[in-house]
Amino acid sequence: MSGTTGSLAANYGVETDAVVSLNDIKVHYPVKEGVLQRVAGQVRAVDGVDLTIPKGKTLGLVGESGCGKTTLGRVIAGLVSPTSGDIWMDLTVEQQRDVQRLRNQNEKDFSEQDRQLWKQLTTGNRLGSMSREKQREYRRNCQVVFQDAFSSLNPRQLVRDIVGRPLRVHQEASGEDLNRKVIELLERVGLGAEHMLRYPHQFSGGQRQRISIARALALNPAFVILDEPTSALDVSVQAQILNLLVELQADMGLTYLFITHDLGVVQHMSDNIAVMYLGQIVEYGPTDQVFDNPLHPYSKILRDSNPSLEGKRSDRDWELSGTVPNPIEPPHGCRLHPRCPVAAAGCGWSVDDVLNSAEEKTPIIFETITTVERRDDFNAEVKFRDAEAAKSFATQVKSSVANLALDRPPELKGESVKLSFNEVPDASIQQIQDGRWTSCTRTQELGALPGFEKDKG
Amino acid sequence: MSSVSKQNKKSQQEKSRTTALSVKWARRREVALEVLRNPLTVIGLVIIFLFLMMAAFAPLLVEPNQPDPYQSPRDWSNIDAAPGVAGHILGTDSTGGDVLYGIIWGSRLSLQLSLTVVLFTLIFGTIVGSIAAMRGGKLDNLLMRIVDVFLSIPELIFALAIAAVLGPDFSNIILALAAVFWVKYARIIRGEIIRVKQADYVAAAKVVGDSQWNIYRKDVLPNAATPLIVQATLDMGNVVLIGATLSFIGLAQAGLTEWGALVSNGQSGLLAGEWWVSTFAGLAIVLWALAFNLVGDGLRDVLDPKTEGR
Repeated sequence: MSGTTGSLAANYGVETDAVVSLNDIKVHYPVKEGVLQRVAGQVRAVDGVDLTIPKGKTLGLVGESGCGKTTLGRVIAGLVSPTSGDIWMDLTVEQQRDVQRLRNQNEKDFSEQDRQLWKQLTTGNRLGSMSREKQREYRRNCQVVFQDAFSSLNPRQLVRDIVGRPLRVHQEASGEDLNRKVIELLERVGLGAEHMLRYPHQFSGGQRQRISIARALALNPAFVILDEPTSALDVSVQAQILNLLVELQADMGLTYLFITHDLGVVQHMSDNIAVMYLGQIVEYGPTDQVFDNPLHPYSKILRDSNPSLEGKRSDRDWELSGTVPNPIEPPHGCRLHPRCPVAAAGCGWSVDDVLNSAEEKTPIIFETITTVERRDDFNAEVKFRDAEAAKSFATQVKSSVANLALDRPPELKGESVKLSFNEVPDASIQQIQDGRWTSCTRTQELGALPGFEKDKG
Repeated sequence: MSSVSKQNKKSQQEKSRTTALSVKWARRREVALEVLRNPLTVIGLVIIFLFLMMAAFAPLLVEPNQPDPYQSPRDWSNIDAAPGVAGHILGTDSTGGDVLYGIIWGSRLSLQLSLTVVLFTLIFGTIVGSIAAMRGGKLDNLLMRIVDVFLSIPELIFALAIAAVLGPDFSNIILALAAVFWVKYARIIRGEIIRVKQADYVAAAKVVGDSQWNIYRKDVLPNAATPLIVQATLDMGNVVLIGATLSFIGLAQAGLTEWGALVSNGQSGLLAGEWWVSTFAGLAIVLWALAFNLVGDGLRDVLDPKTEGR
C-alpha cells in the first residue's frame, strides 16, 4: 500500500479501526432565485469528502472559515443530512477495505459472496440503512462540544438538567441517581456539586465550556466532535480546556475530531490532520509531518500565516492572492490554483479564472466587456466595446500564469479575444508518501512540494 | 452502620431534590420582585386586581336586577339624570339605566370578553405558529399564506364583518375578535421559533437524541415565549377597545350592560351636554387597557433577554 498512488476513493488511516468513515460526502445547498424559487445553483459547502477517523486518536480538521469544516462536523453528528455519500460507523480495517473495494464496483457485478457482505455492511454499519437500535447507539456514541458555550446551553435550564439530559433521554438515570451522576460528571470536568443548581448565565466562558464537555461525556461516548471548542475563550482558559480534553481522552479512551482554524491548537492536540479548502480535503497526514513538510501549498501557507512568539516567519513570499472563490462555481482542476503562489499550467485554468482576475485587477477593462460567448468552461470568445480594451486584455492574459494553460495563444480579432484552455480533470487527493495524502497535482507529479520562484509572473 | 449512612444519604438526596425545586422558585421570585420594583407596573397590577374584584363581587356591591342582572334597572322617573341626582352617583342614561350599575355589572362581560379572547387566541396562535415553524417547508408556507390573508384585512373591519354575519350576540363578538386576533400570535411565535431553532442548544439536544416534542417543550418554547406574553398583556386592553367599538356600532344585544354598549348609548346625549354616560364607561375601558399596558411594559423590561441574567 505504501508509496503507491491511491485509488479514486481515498481512505486515509486505513491502518487502524475507525469510529467513523466517510465516503464521498457532499452537502449542497440549493440557491433559489426569484418569485418561483427556481434553483439557480448549488452552494457546495462540502464537495466530495472521504475521511476516516481512527479509533482512540485525535484527528484535526483545519481550514479557514467558510471552508465547510463545521458543516462536515455536523454531518458526522447527524445534524445535517448529506446530499450524497455514505457514513459508516465502527469499521475494522478489514471492513474498511471491503467497503472500498465494493464501492468501486457496480452493484450488479457483485458476486454472491460480495452481495452478502455488502448487505451485512450496509445494514450493520451504514448510517441511514442500519437498524434503529444501531442508529440510536451511534447517536449515543457520538457527541458534540460546540464552539459557542453561550449559545450551546439553554439559558432557562439548570446545570443539573443540562448535564443530566442525555441520561434522562436514554433512560440511564432519574431522580437521585441522576443527581449523583451529574455531580460525578461535573467533578470530572473540574466543577463541583455546588454548581449543579445554577443557571448558565452564572458561569464564566471557561466554566460553560466545561459544562458543555460534561454534557457530551454523560453517555460515556467513544467519539466526541469538538467544534472549535476553545476559539471563543481567552488564551489562558484555552490552555486549561485543552489540557482537560487531553486528560479525559487518556482516561476514557476517547476519539476526537478536533475542528479548528487555529493551527497552534491543532498541533498540540492531534495525531493526524486533515486540511480543508473550499469543501474538499486537500491534505491529510500525521500532524508532525504535515507541519514539518507540508505537501500542499495551502497547508504551507496556513502554517506560515500562524504568528509565532519568536516573530520569525519563513518564506514570506508564500501568500494567497485574491479572495475565496465562489463555492457555487468552484475553480476547475485544483481549487486553490487561482490563488496559489506556485500554480502552473496544469492546475486547471479556465475562462472564469481569467475573467475573475480581470475583474479584480483591472476593473476598467472588465467593464468594457460586452458579451462572453462560451462554448464550455474552457473555451470562450470575450467581446469588448473597443479594440483597445481587447488588446490590453489579451496582453494581460499573456503575461499571467493562465497563459501557459492555453492550448494556443489568445486570438485577438478586432474587438474580441478568443481563449482556448487545455481541459484539466478535477484534482483528486492521492497518497504520495506513506500515510501522506495531497490533492496538489504538482506535488503529485514532483513527489514533493514545488519550489517557489520569486520572479515568476 | 451502613443503614445509618444510607439514611443519611437519603435525607441528603431529599434535600437536593427540594433545593432544585426551590432554586426554580427562587428564580421565579426574583423575576416577580424585579417586576414589582417598577411602580407603574405595580399600579397596573393593582388596577387589574381591583377590576377583577369588582367583577367577582358585583352582587355584593350592587343588588342584581331581576330577572336579568345584565340589564340595568330602569328608573323611568330619572331619565338622563346628572351624576348625584336621586341616588344615581354616576347618573343615568336615556332609558333611565344607572351608569354605576352598568359599569359594575358590565365589567363581568367586558373582562370575560378580553380574558376569553386573549387566552383563546394565545393558545390557538401558538399552536399554528409552532407547527409552521417546527415543520417548515410546504406546511409552513401554506399556514403563513392563510395568516397573510387574515392580516391583509383591517382588524376592525374584519371583526365587524364576522359579527355582522353571525348576528348581534355577545358570544359572537368573542368569536369575531378571536378570529381576528390569533394571526398576530401565530406570526410572532413562528418568527421567534425560527430564531431559537438556530441556537446551538437546540442542536445539542438533537445530538443527545431527544425527541422533537421535548426539544420544543424544553428548549424552543421557553426561549420563544417572551414576546408572546408581552403581546398578550397589550391585547387585553385592545380586545376590550375593539369589542367596545363593535357594541358601540350596535352589534351587541340591545340593552346589555357592557362597557362598549354604555359608551354607545351615551353618545347620543353627548351633544345635549349629557356627558356622564359615555365618559364614565369610557374611563373604565381606558383604565383596564392602560393597566395591562403598564404591566406589559414592565414584563417586557424584565423578560428582555438583553437585561435578563445580570
